Amino acid sequence: MYLADFHIHSNFSDGKLSIPALVDYFGKREFGAIAITDHFCEDTSLIGKASTYLGVTLNRATFPIYCELLKTEKARAWEQYGMMLIPGVEITKNSISNHRSAHFLVLGELEGIDPNKDITETSDQVRAKGGLVIAAHPVSTQKLEKQTYHLWDRREGLRNKVDAWEVASGPYLFDEVGRSGLPVIANSDFHQERNMTSWKTVLRCERRQDAIFEAIKKQKLEFFFYREVKRRESYHPQRTYYGGVELAHQRMGNLVSV
Amino acid sequence: MAGLNWLINGWGTWLAFKQFTSKVRLIPDDDLPSVSILKPLKGVDPGLHENLESCFHVNYPRFEILFSVSSPNDPAALLIQPLLEKYPNVNAKLIISNQEVGPNPKVNNLLASYKLATHDVVLISDSNIRVSPDYLRNLVPDLTPDVGVITAVVAGTHPNGLGGYLEASYLNTFFARWMFLARVFSFESVVGKSMLFKRSTLERFGGLKTLSGYIAEDYMTGHAMKKLDLKVEIMRSPVRQYLGHYSFSSFWKRHIRWGRIRKSIAPLAFIIEPLFFSSVTSLFFALAISQWFGFHFGLAWTIHMTAWWIMDSFLCSLIDQFSWKLILAWWVREVIAIPIWLAILLGNTVDWRGKDYRLLPGGLLEGIAK
Repeated sequence: MYLADFHIHSNFSDGKLSIPALVDYFGKREFGAIAITDHFCEDTSLIGKASTYLGVTLNRATFPIYCELLKTEKARAWEQYGMMLIPGVEITKNSISNHRSAHFLVLGELEGIDPNKDITETSDQVRAKGGLVIAAHPVSTQKLEKQTYHLWDRREGLRNKVDAWEVASGPYLFDEVGRSGLPVIANSDFHQERNMTSWKTVLRCERRQDAIFEAIKKQKLEFFFYREVKRRESYHPQRTYYGGVELAHQRMGNLVSV
Repeated sequence: MAGLNWLINGWGTWLAFKQFTSKVRLIPDDDLPSVSILKPLKGVDPGLHENLESCFHVNYPRFEILFSVSSPNDPAALLIQPLLEKYPNVNAKLIISNQEVGPNPKVNNLLASYKLATHDVVLISDSNIRVSPDYLRNLVPDLTPDVGVITAVVAGTHPNGLGGYLEASYLNTFFARWMFLARVFSFESVVGKSMLFKRSTLERFGGLKTLSGYIAEDYMTGHAMKKLDLKVEIMRSPVRQYLGHYSFSSFWKRHIRWGRIRKSIAPLAFIIEPLFFSSVTSLFFALAISQWFGFHFGLAWTIHMTAWWIMDSFLCSLIDQFSWKLILAWWVREVIAIPIWLAILLGNTVDWRGKDYRLLPGGLLEGIAK
C-alpha cells in the first residue's frame, strides 16, 4: 500500500519547486507514485497567450525540455526512492466564462500533445498510447480562483473519454462528483509545500505505470487525507484531521478509507 | 522616471565594476577539472586565424580543443590543419560532421564534437572570440555545484567601419550592464559566445540535441538551468570578440535579428526596453526640468545625455579601451536605438545565414521558408 498524488505543479508553470526538488520532496515522504502535471495552456486564446508571456505555463518552447527532464528524473526517482514518476501535463483551457473553461490531466506518453486540441481528440490520442485522462477539479473548488466547469457540464458525453474525475482537490471533497457514479480520484493540485495538507490516493498495486493506470481505471483506489507534522527532521503523516476521515465517511460513503 | 533609471543603470554599472574587479578563486592545478573546449566554425571571419591560435596558448593543466566544421570544404577547416601541426603538444582535433537534428546550425555543428568530448566540463567558445591565456583559470573555479552555466560579458574589440564601432559601443555599455541587471531581475541572460557547463548537467534535460530546435540555444540553456535550481553565473572578466570590419547594414540586420529573438523570448521585457534607453530617459529628464524650472529643453536633454555618456565611458573603460571614434559611435547608437526598437517591434521573422525563420513565443523557430 502506498500514497500517490497525480496532480503536481513544478516551476515549469506556476509551481514553486523544481522537478528535482519535487522528486526529493515526495520521495522523502515515501510516496509510491506521483505525476508531475504542469499547466500547458492552449495558445489560441488571449488568456493562454498572456499565460505564455507571463511564464506561468509550459509552451511549445519549454515543453521539449520539460519532457526530457521528466525522463531523467523518472529514472532518479525510481533508483533513489523506489517511487514511480509519471510524466504528465494539465491541459489548460481558460476562458472568461467558467463554463467554457476546462482543465484536464494527461498522464503517460506526452509526445505529440497539443493543448489546442479538444479533450475528445486528445483523449483518443493519449489512451491509444496507453495513457490516462483525468478531469481536474471539475466542480467548484470552494476557493477564490478560476473555476472550470466545462467538462462537468459535458460529463455524460465525456463518460468514455475521461478515465477519472477528481473527487477531491487539495483539502476539498466534491460531493457531486462522489455521488455521480463516475470513476474518481483524489489529488492535491500541489503548487507549494503548504498544499501538502490534502487528499491523496492510496494504491495497493505494483509500482508500475501500467499497473497504476489499470488500478485507476478499475477504481481499485482508496483516499486518504494527508496532513503531516514535522518531528525531528522526519515527516509523519497525521492520520486524523478535525474529524476529516469521519466527515469524509459521512459524505462520501465507502469511497473513503484510511 | 529618470531618477529610477539612474538608480537601475547605476546599479548595473556598479555590479559590472564589482564583478570585473573581483578576485579569481585560486585552486591548485591538481584540483582543477579537465575541460573540453568546443569551437564551432563556419567560414573565415576577420581575425579568425589569430582567434583560433589564441586557444593553443591557454595556460591550463588539462584540456582538449575540438574544432568542428560541417563540411570538409569549409575554408575554416584549411586554417586548422597548420595550427594542429604547429602545436603538436596541445590535444586538439578537427571534427567534420554534417549531422542535422534541428534548425539551429550552430548546435548541429557542435553535436559531433559534443559527443566526442572526453571531459565532463565543456566550454563552448565561438570562433570570433580571442581568448587570453588565463581564460580557463578565470572561468573554471566558479563552476561550483550550485552553478549550471557560466557565461561572459562580450567586449567588442578591434572595431572597424561604422557598424563595428556601433556594435562595440552597444556591447561595451548597454549590453554589458544589462547582462548583470537581467540576472538580478531573474531573467536568464546567457551569451552563447562563451558557455561553460557540465555535460552531466546538460544531459539532465536531454543534452545539446534538445537545444537544436531553438534559435537562442544559449538563452534556453540558462532557462533550463534555472528550472533545475542552478545558477547562471557571469565570468569575472569579459571575453573579447574580434569585430573587424562591420558595415552599418550588417549592424542593423544583426540587431533586428537579435532583438526579435529577444522579443519572442521575453515580450514584456522587450516592450518596456525603451524606458531604459539613455535618449528616452533624457527626454523624461528634459521634459520635467523644462516644465518645473523653465530650463531650456534641448540643453537639459544634452546635459543629461552627457552625464549618461560619462557613466557609459566608465563602464566601457572597464571592458575595453575607449577611443574617440567609440565616443562618436556611442551618440549615434543611442539616438538610433529607438528606430531599431521600432523595426524589431514591427516584425517576427529573422534572416539568419541566408534563411528566413518565423519566431514563435519562447524563441522557437517555425517553418523555414524562403
